[in-house]
Amino acid sequence: MTYPSVYPTGATIYNPEKCWSGYTIFQARELGALLIDMNGGEVNLWKGLHGFPNQLLPGGYVLGHTGLRNNAFGMQDQLDLVQVDWEGNIVWKFNQYEYIEDPGEEAQWMARQHHDYQREGNPVGYYVPGMEPVVDGGNTLLLCHKNVKNPDITDKNLLDDVIIEVDREGNIVWEWSCNEHFNEFEFSEAAKNILARDPNMRTAGGGMGDWMHINCMSKLGPNKWYDAGDERFHPENIAWCARESNILAIISKKTGEIVWKVGPDYDTSKELRELGWIIGPHHFHMIPRGLPGEGNMLIFDNGGWAGYGLPNPCSSKGRMNVLRDYSRVLEFDPKTLKIVWQYTPIEAGLVHPSDSNRFYSPFISGAQRLPNGNTLITEGSGGRLIEVTAEHEIVWEYISPYWGDKFKINMVYRAYRVPYEWVPQVDKPVETPIEPKDVAKFRMPGAAPLGPKKQTEVPGVKPYQGSTALCVAADDELDNLDK
Amino acid sequence: MINTLYTATGCTRCKIVKRFMEERDIPYTEKDMKAEGKEEFQQFYKANRKYIYRGENGIEFPVFTNGEAIYQGIGPAVAYLHFNGKLDEFFSIGVLHKEWVDGIYVSHGNPEYAGEFIEVLRFLKNNNLKLQVDTNGKNNHILRQILDEGLADIVIMNVLGPEELYSKILGEDINIDEVKKSIETAAKFPEVHFQTTVVPVVRQEGDSPEISYLAPEEVAEAAKLIEEVTESKKNPYLIKLFKTKEAKDKRLKAVGPLSAANLMPYRSKARAYQVFTEVEKA
Repeated sequence: MTYPSVYPTGATIYNPEKCWSGYTIFQARELGALLIDMNGGEVNLWKGLHGFPNQLLPGGYVLGHTGLRNNAFGMQDQLDLVQVDWEGNIVWKFNQYEYIEDPGEEAQWMARQHHDYQREGNPVGYYVPGMEPVVDGGNTLLLCHKNVKNPDITDKNLLDDVIIEVDREGNIVWEWSCNEHFNEFEFSEAAKNILARDPNMRTAGGGMGDWMHINCMSKLGPNKWYDAGDERFHPENIAWCARESNILAIISKKTGEIVWKVGPDYDTSKELRELGWIIGPHHFHMIPRGLPGEGNMLIFDNGGWAGYGLPNPCSSKGRMNVLRDYSRVLEFDPKTLKIVWQYTPIEAGLVHPSDSNRFYSPFISGAQRLPNGNTLITEGSGGRLIEVTAEHEIVWEYISPYWGDKFKINMVYRAYRVPYEWVPQVDKPVETPIEPKDVAKFRMPGAAPLGPKKQTEVPGVKPYQGSTALCVAADDELDNLDK
Repeated sequence: MINTLYTATGCTRCKIVKRFMEERDIPYTEKDMKAEGKEEFQQFYKANRKYIYRGENGIEFPVFTNGEAIYQGIGPAVAYLHFNGKLDEFFSIGVLHKEWVDGIYVSHGNPEYAGEFIEVLRFLKNNNLKLQVDTNGKNNHILRQILDEGLADIVIMNVLGPEELYSKILGEDINIDEVKKSIETAAKFPEVHFQTTVVPVVRQEGDSPEISYLAPEEVAEAAKLIEEVTESKKNPYLIKLFKTKEAKDKRLKAVGPLSAANLMPYRSKARAYQVFTEVEKA
């Protein structure tokens, strides 16, 4: 989170030998759906096409939205989900989830989609060998909003998360509503109390409680756990996580019941304590079969502020009662909850926790497992995309150069990497390595070069030490204290 | 005959029925199930549980019996005490609470007793109760009078199906114009909820009758009928599941039940004509 006022944007690191090279699709802030190559070359911009997120399909098709509901009445409600071809023609559209009549607005059907969707053929929306999303048919899962009343939760108007499945013709063939499973989430009494009083009220539409804020949704797909007889991991079951409640869950597609869950509390077992408190999470999904780590769960554990529970000095009422000012990308075993791989400030090479907020996105973000074992991480709030190896080396980095005019931030909600073959309209680009700059020597024109003009020796000075006597305990000292 | 009124302490509806009986010098014995009458009610309930409805929130009071028949709830009890059994088919057990009274079926009773029926509704309304009435389109003239006198606050209009199947589903001939008039009347109440139950229909009579559920397209036709009459696509419209065990025609009991998920295609089709269509949850 500590940025200089001047720094390069676009691609800043690229090691073709270690990367899983391809195109990257993301929503450039207030610009459109942008497809870039590994050198940051802008291959196609679908101008004005919204993306929450954008996904690319084989054949150069992009999924996105034609617009957003007026913020005065809705919370992140996309008007529709559309499939657009390389030239910008809409070849498929769904919007008939709810008929909306907002004051002063044209009455219309809306999908009210937000945060995620999945096209049949691929469980997670990113490249998996042998699991291509269907381009000219197939059903689509959408994460949508619906306003409901549920006195078991609160007497206030709730913004509920629903998952629907629509066929190619736009018929809704399956629906799941989160609020109907309130009693399965095991909220503490303290959490229920604050939820009843303040279910994360937002001002849109005269006030609505965005109580869970589910922000991702994907199928599990074929996996070893189900093959071994564990019905909780049926390939059709759906994984999601909720930013406000810190819950990660898997629901049964057949019954709608919660069949697997961690959170909302992370101090109730040894396994959960070792996993650590997951806060404001995003992009929780099972790594699909055919990719390294298949069967493990991958998540961007944002940190930031979230949760419901007892009031504390950081949360006078008990809402957003857990805090952490750095992020973690976790890959863990869904049965043992053991962390298999992670990318945290420590793996990023930062002094922890003193400098940990340099890897920190308190909202949005995601992580995609690539076929060579690398992970594409969207550190969303700062518009930073990095590809890291299993050994945590950054082999590609890109900073979005697009700041919004209306919302002055270069945030990237979620980026996806796709193979070159999915875009047959253009030739494979030239891959030009970008060596990481030595930042110590990197200077702006006019700035003085590194190094003193005169070096003066001072007799009797002692060598510098490590960090153990810093104002706050860090790194090795923390490890020793833990022991 | 000995009249017994089973009541519950603090039950406003019970007090209204008691006052009704006292004003008409109808002798009765009160048994408060939360006080001295607890054991007697338990025995009474045990012996008659098949006649006493117990919902999610318990048993609705008052429960009246003359030793021969049992009337549960304020509507059925007052209707019986006022007009003997003439109005039995107009009233049934309700599920609403506090000031709301439901279980009032405009279409089910004998239209010859419309005057008596209206009189009971007036009594309930004059006691500051809010009424929810149900209709399937039959007896529009009664519904019209209810509207004109402002007797009901909510009307549930059961549009049984498309025009060509209406009489078949109803089980008797009905002029579709009367149904249309009822839809038109219903839309003028302070609050109206249209609904259609996806029922099985005997398509072909015979030794081996052909029976199948209303199709999504047929329910869409019902939604279209509502649109045409009300000139609006924006009515609240609910598609409901058929409860097999409640079928009067034994042949329909044999039809396998639909699940809530089965209703999804119905919603998609109906939304072309009624955009706020929702489906009943299981």
